[in-house]
Amino acid sequence: MRCFNCGSQLTNTPYCTNCGVDIREYRRIMWTSNQYYNDGLTKAKVRDLSGAVLSLRACLKLNRTNIEARNLLGLVYFEMGEAVAAFSEWVVSKSMKPDKNLADDFMETVQANPGRLATINQSIKKYNQALQYAKQGSLDLSVIQLKKVLQVNPNLVVAYELLGLLYLQAEEYGRAKRILAQALKIDRNNTRVLYYLKEADEGLNARYEGGNSRKRGRGAGRESTDAITYTSGNETIIQPVNSGERRGSSAILNILIGVLIGCALIFFLVLPGRIRRASGEMDEQLKEVSDELTLKNADIEEQEKKIKSLENENSELKGTLGDLSGSTGMTERYDHLAEAALNYMKNPDDVTGTEAILKQIPTESASMNSLAIDAISMPELDPAIYSQAFRDLYNYVDSGVASKAARTYIDRGREEFERKEYQAAIADLSRATEIAPLNDEAWYYLAESYKESGDSIHATQAYSRIVNEMADSDYADRARKNLSNGAAAETQDTAETVQEENNQDALAEALALQALQQAVAGAGNTDTGAE
Amino acid sequence: MIDFEEELKKFHPSPEVEDAENAIRALDVTDMVDLIVHLEERNNLQ
Repeated sequence: MRCFNCGSQLTNTPYCTNCGVDIREYRRIMWTSNQYYNDGLTKAKVRDLSGAVLSLRACLKLNRTNIEARNLLGLVYFEMGEAVAAFSEWVVSKSMKPDKNLADDFMETVQANPGRLATINQSIKKYNQALQYAKQGSLDLSVIQLKKVLQVNPNLVVAYELLGLLYLQAEEYGRAKRILAQALKIDRNNTRVLYYLKEADEGLNARYEGGNSRKRGRGAGRESTDAITYTSGNETIIQPVNSGERRGSSAILNILIGVLIGCALIFFLVLPGRIRRASGEMDEQLKEVSDELTLKNADIEEQEKKIKSLENENSELKGTLGDLSGSTGMTERYDHLAEAALNYMKNPDDVTGTEAILKQIPTESASMNSLAIDAISMPELDPAIYSQAFRDLYNYVDSGVASKAARTYIDRGREEFERKEYQAAIADLSRATEIAPLNDEAWYYLAESYKESGDSIHATQAYSRIVNEMADSDYADRARKNLSNGAAAETQDTAETVQEENNQDALAEALALQALQQAVAGAGNTDTGAE
Repeated sequence: MIDFEEELKKFHPSPEVEDAENAIRALDVTDMVDLIVHLEERNNLQ
């Protein structure tokens, strides 16, 4: 120990041997300071950090030059999360004893991890912010901020203290108790923490007693459905007393039951509705398709009818076209008329050729009687078929060649008749009668040709036509005479034929009578034999 | 029952690193030895 006045080494004397100052009080102060240091060290060793802080502060208040006490105080501060306070003590310690100071090691250790130091500083800033929130009345914000502080700086005891106080204010005694318990792990004898913890315990006890009294008031027969109800801020919390959380297999069983109930609800409530809806949609679609099908079928039937009518029309048109363009068509007839007119103009003497061409054009009389023997009038063209120009040209050409052609055929027929070529004569004369139906000469020699060829029927018809139609003709008497001769002969032939037929009938009757008689005789013989 | 407002007043902002210099300067390091020296000096003067 050195003298506080001159700094010389002190001895056991009550005064300084160098300067003579009284050092009794000084010795007492130093002793007391050392006692506080020892006390602080002891408390720090048992993690009574707040108590150690108080002892070490008292130590340094008595003797500021107690370097060990100051360094220890800095270390305790650091352990309590207050790094700046710790650094302050170490810096002061360093200033008082620059050499061989343990504070150097402490500061170097902390400064070796700048990230950690920055985190601690950030947590201190948040703590100050939370304290400001709390003082402003924003307790919820303060609680949130303090939770963040303790996540990054879990040794900041003042943060635990403030958070515990806030929980106590919110009457969240359970949480306050848990937080304060964590604070006690750092600072085991923190007076404030212990005080808050006591308040939390009292709050919980009061709540428990209140719950029990309500439970007793409702009756002891009630079971575990009872609960403790208390107010936390603006919320009313109902806490079951005897019912714990169901765990393990019971929870899984509850989940399975819930899933089964959900499946059953879906199966019995949701699924039928969906099925009905789907079925309804299907029915509507089916109905729409059926309607469309009906419309399509109606359209198809209508189209088929149209096709059939068009086919009929087409066949009619084809027939008409065939009539017009075929060998008997109108085009062909125009060709024949043109050919006849051309032949008539080029070869006026070739009347038979021109007439033969004209003959190919069907006329009304020609179409009515192909034999032409019965025709009594000039061939005429149907106005419904032939145009006026066609008929005019036809009549012009026909009038120019008809009489000449008839004359030619008659002359040729007579020559052939004279040569007894009756078939050729019949052909030419028939053609002449077709061209000139009232030409008596042609009819007479035609009848003669038939007669000579043995065709009495046609001969009679031809003679009859002369007699009936051309009675004033020169050939009428001869025709009548031949007709009478031919009729007698025909009558005689007819009588002979009748006689022959009568003979045959008589013979048949005789044979039949004979057969009858034989049958009757046979029947009589049979009856006699029987008798 | 604790008085929340009164308890809250007991809390003070913790010094930050940026305020460390000011905190060190504001640190009261006077002790009883300083008081004795002061008393001794006054006695000597008398």
